[in-house]
Amino acid sequence: MIQMKSRLSVIDNSGALIVECIKVLRNAKWASVGDEIVVSVKNARPIADGSAISANRIKKGDVRRALIVRTKKEIRRPDGRFVRFDDNACVLINSQKQPIGSRILSLVSRELREKNWIKVVSLAPKVV
Amino acid sequence: MKLEICSFSGFKIYPGHGSLFVRGDSRIFHFISSKSESLFHQAKNPRKISWTVVYRSLHRKGISEEVSKKRTRRTVKYNRAIIGVSWEAIQNRRNEKPEVRAAARKSAVEKAKALKKSGVKKTSA
Repeated sequence: MIQMKSRLSVIDNSGALIVECIKVLRNAKWASVGDEIVVSVKNARPIADGSAISANRIKKGDVRRALIVRTKKEIRRPDGRFVRFDDNACVLINSQKQPIGSRILSLVSRELREKNWIKVVSLAPKVV
Repeated sequence: MKLEICSFSGFKIYPGHGSLFVRGDSRIFHFISSKSESLFHQAKNPRKISWTVVYRSLHRKGISEEVSKKRTRRTVKYNRAIIGVSWEAIQNRRNEKPEVRAAARKSAVEKAKALKKSGVKKTSA
């Protein structure tokens, strides 16, 4: 249940660490796994000075799009069981719906596969 | 059909039942009911809660009947008559006094010796 002001951890290597949801891109009050949201970066990894790639690195205050990959609110699977994670997590994506980071560092939910986020699923080390 | 086992109570979870919890260290836990899930999140020890499978196996609950049934088979000795000799005849022989037996044996031996001597004489003559 991700809504405006919800904080999520970022589990890719894009550089952002903690983001805050500022808009749910869905005609509903809250977003769940596999939904896209707009986020503002609250905490980012410090950028090394003088590097050429620093121009497109993520900074604090950036507004980006993100894809939710884990939620604390349980999700109902088609077979009737419920799946719940320990935290809310997302990965940053660009306007073409491709992940910004090149790696995903922890597991993601299987719902992403059903919603056709193939790139994110293939990057993830484990799909639950 | 794949059966899961409840991480707290140890009960079987049939498809379509229970819930799955993924902890921060990416360990997966299965729960049969909200009761066992709640107790897990309260950090209760299933070894101390009397209705869980772990507790019952630790305190040997519900195993005593099975153990008593599983006694090993013992060979049973019993007596019966053999062809030609009735059971009573065997019993009489067995209950003879040693002196009587020894006397009988002696007489039998003497008889056999006498027979042998006479036999030898016959063959030599």
